[in-house]
Amino acid sequence: MEGPHDVLVVGAGCAGMRAAIEAHDAGADVALISKIHPVRSHSGAAEGGINAALGNASDDDPEKHAFDTVKGADYLGDQDAIQVLCDEAPEDVYQLERWGAVFSRTEDGRIAQRPFGAAGEPRTAYAADITGHVLVHVLYEQIMRRDIPTYEEYFAWKLVVDDERCQGVVCWDILNGGLKTIGAKTVILATGGAGRLYTGTTNAYACTGDGMSMALRVGVPLKDMEMMQFHPTTLAPTGVLITEGCRGEGAYLLNSEGDRFLKRYAPNAMELASRDVISRAEQTEIDEGRGVNGNVLLDLRHLGAERIIERLHGTRELSLVFAGVDPIQEPIPVRPGAHYHMGGVDTDLWGQTSLDGLYAAGEVACVSVHGANRLGGNALMETITYGKRAGRHAADWALTHTTVEVPPSVEADAEHELKQLLDRTDGERPWQIRDELAATMHQNFGVFRREDQMQEQGRIVERLRERFERVVVDDKGTLFNNDVTQALELGFLLELADCMVVSGLARKESRGAHARPYDYPNRDDENYMRHTITRLDASGRPQLDWKPVTVTKWQPMERTY
Amino acid sequence: MTEAAVHTEPQTLEVALKVWRYDSRTGERELVRYEVEAPDWVTLLDVLDIIKDRVDGTLAYRKSCRMMICGSCGMRMDGAAVLACRTRMKEIVEAGHVPVISAMGNLPIVKDLVVDMEPFWSKVRAMKPWLQSGYEEPPEHEWRASQEQMNVIHKEALCIMCGCCVSECNSMESDPEFLGPAALAKGMRFVGDPRERNQVERLNAYNEEHGIWDCTRCYFCNERCPKGVDPRDAIAKLGAESIKHGIDHDMGAKHAKWFVTSAKTTGWLRETELVPKTQGVVSAIKQTKFAMGLLRHGKVPLPFPPHVAEEVDEARALYNVVKQQGRDGALGHVQGERALARIDHPDDAGAHGGQGYRDSPDITPGEPPVQRDIGEDPHGQQTR
Repeated sequence: MEGPHDVLVVGAGCAGMRAAIEAHDAGADVALISKIHPVRSHSGAAEGGINAALGNASDDDPEKHAFDTVKGADYLGDQDAIQVLCDEAPEDVYQLERWGAVFSRTEDGRIAQRPFGAAGEPRTAYAADITGHVLVHVLYEQIMRRDIPTYEEYFAWKLVVDDERCQGVVCWDILNGGLKTIGAKTVILATGGAGRLYTGTTNAYACTGDGMSMALRVGVPLKDMEMMQFHPTTLAPTGVLITEGCRGEGAYLLNSEGDRFLKRYAPNAMELASRDVISRAEQTEIDEGRGVNGNVLLDLRHLGAERIIERLHGTRELSLVFAGVDPIQEPIPVRPGAHYHMGGVDTDLWGQTSLDGLYAAGEVACVSVHGANRLGGNALMETITYGKRAGRHAADWALTHTTVEVPPSVEADAEHELKQLLDRTDGERPWQIRDELAATMHQNFGVFRREDQMQEQGRIVERLRERFERVVVDDKGTLFNNDVTQALELGFLLELADCMVVSGLARKESRGAHARPYDYPNRDDENYMRHTITRLDASGRPQLDWKPVTVTKWQPMERTY
Repeated sequence: MTEAAVHTEPQTLEVALKVWRYDSRTGERELVRYEVEAPDWVTLLDVLDIIKDRVDGTLAYRKSCRMMICGSCGMRMDGAAVLACRTRMKEIVEAGHVPVISAMGNLPIVKDLVVDMEPFWSKVRAMKPWLQSGYEEPPEHEWRASQEQMNVIHKEALCIMCGCCVSECNSMESDPEFLGPAALAKGMRFVGDPRERNQVERLNAYNEEHGIWDCTRCYFCNERCPKGVDPRDAIAKLGAESIKHGIDHDMGAKHAKWFVTSAKTTGWLRETELVPKTQGVVSAIKQTKFAMGLLRHGKVPLPFPPHVAEEVDEARALYNVVKQQGRDGALGHVQGERALARIDHPDDAGAHGGQGYRDSPDITPGEPPVQRDIGEDPHGQQTR
């Protein structure tokens, strides 16, 4: 066993690094595990910004931020969690700035804020269109400053549970090979999302839902797994993200007739309606034959070259490289792509899960701040605020509890399971299963969902899980073997797909990202203003349960933009 | 999604690559040729993925975001560092070229295309890469700074730490301890930050041996940086900032200062005085024989009488203009025309192969990191 540490953070994106900093500053011995170097984390790909009611661009306050978030979530967000986020957000953003984050600035030298979808005020603090990049780097600077140890290129595979407590993590050392167990009094999952479940996704290759699945396997429930957000502006064919900041700066969405079609879907907010609304509008335009090769057009030309270069230069670069289009001269073809998992590991307001010593923060978690639809700019904010809260609580807990036990059987079982996988020489390579899973999820569990397609997807996932039992890893070695970890990642994804389908079938309504226009076109607050919960039964199949939504002061209203 | 959402069937390509395989434990090394069929939009990274999935799962390389922001997939194509995810293959294939793919240079290879990044990160850590704002009482909200002040470090803040510049660095090839372009650009990111209060200590540290003056100015880092950070420019700005702060103990600084003095006083570079001014009198005397040789062959002018250019007044006028503009330090660094030209994008940008294309709108350095009224623009030199 390595360690033990007071706090072990799995994943080193914004949530993980923020948690580690907080735990360190609270006096805990903290370490990070990451399967890629911290600055490679997918938080760095966040572009548009981070929401906090700083009031630098308008008269704003946390109450307005909270209401916009509650409404954006289609009333599935827990209002106490949303209130915490919106109240703590401004100070947390100021702290990032004082640590050195290179935010864009207002005329009077404050942090600049831009309008974003479904936000009543210009509330999104930003650093041009590389906000996530700037935050990842400033957080890593603070990690280096504190000399917080990092188990780099360690692939977290299994949680150690003993005495009904989480007490560590079993990892595969990618660089040197071999299983390594790291003991810890508390473990914080900060492993991000699972966008790799879909063919067209903005998510990095690393986003394979590791933490969600690891938690699920030790009996910790997942919440609202059917809620996968489709971002309205991604590039064909692979789903590279074009920031919502484009629309925040005033870009138009056009169909093949050159028509700003959102006037028929969101006549007031237009391009700044919420993401679920815009993705559905785009998909409808495309389905009804008003698309352009399966895309709609994002037109920035009227913003002018200077503004595009100053505030959206990363977007221009992505568009040039991946679409061959210069947005100064031509509209960018875009379409909806899987972007963000509102669902995840069920936690309380301090990131605690149902298992003692286990926490989750960021996209892996479901507090729930985002409910059925996340607002642009709220994800980065959640990573910071809830990363901080999980780090603080885990440190406090660890400093008042003493021992760490990792039973030898844990390592032996993991060794045995891994050996079975590595010893197999005859069978299918994982990529075909991975690609089939992603293509069928896109087909059957996308922007619009039909009962029969979801049922079909359930059967497909079941068959893929059977095939996965017989996959073959080519690389049997111990030197930078990520062939084996890519197979393990596929195992994580398959279980999550199963949970998503079960949850999606159970939610017989249309709410946020879960749109069922063919059979349940409306929101049903009487029956479904509650969270889906999934756990695995003894045979590894997901079982469905429900959990009430916390409502403090905002009763559900009709949601229009 | 419905059928209409599926984009039109892509054309395919027959892509061939030659990859340098390597195993650091056995020392075995082999150039292996791979041929796969791929959609016509693929990048180098996509091709490696197809090879790893379908041909040989033991092929090792790093990847994550596939959108040029995580910095994982730096490697060499035909001997020059690229981000694999940024390199489109269509044009290369259509030209009938079979590129050779290898690991980045100047870093130890672990396996195939994977290098040990620890030497890279240890140099970054040596820069003390965190803001040292030094104020005793932090501001109530944010630290105030104008956009113009922040623009000074715009390019340095774009760095994704991919290592492409380090891979190509000629100085590091001869001096592995040279801090190198990525770490020094990170240093400039703090030296140029209007919120930083520890510039002098930083500059002193960066002026030590293996520091800024050990750069050979080959500009390979600027050339190969996939994000337009222009690390060599950052090093130049650190040099200018050092001289502005009177940190000139290194020969490199003395050398640069003498260029200015010489041009100002005579309109020429006076080589014979350059050596004693840079290296000191003792060192210069030791080189007398060599200098005499140069003189005999007409390579240097006689030191006496001092040779003054006819139009020395113009040189002096230029010097005075720059002085009046207050462009001391980093602000005196003039961005090259090539950088400015990037704003006028080429028609055949990126998508048609990605080779050699760099889109990073250039930022003219703005207000210096000194106290001025926020938003004031006394020299009217901003492009914004």
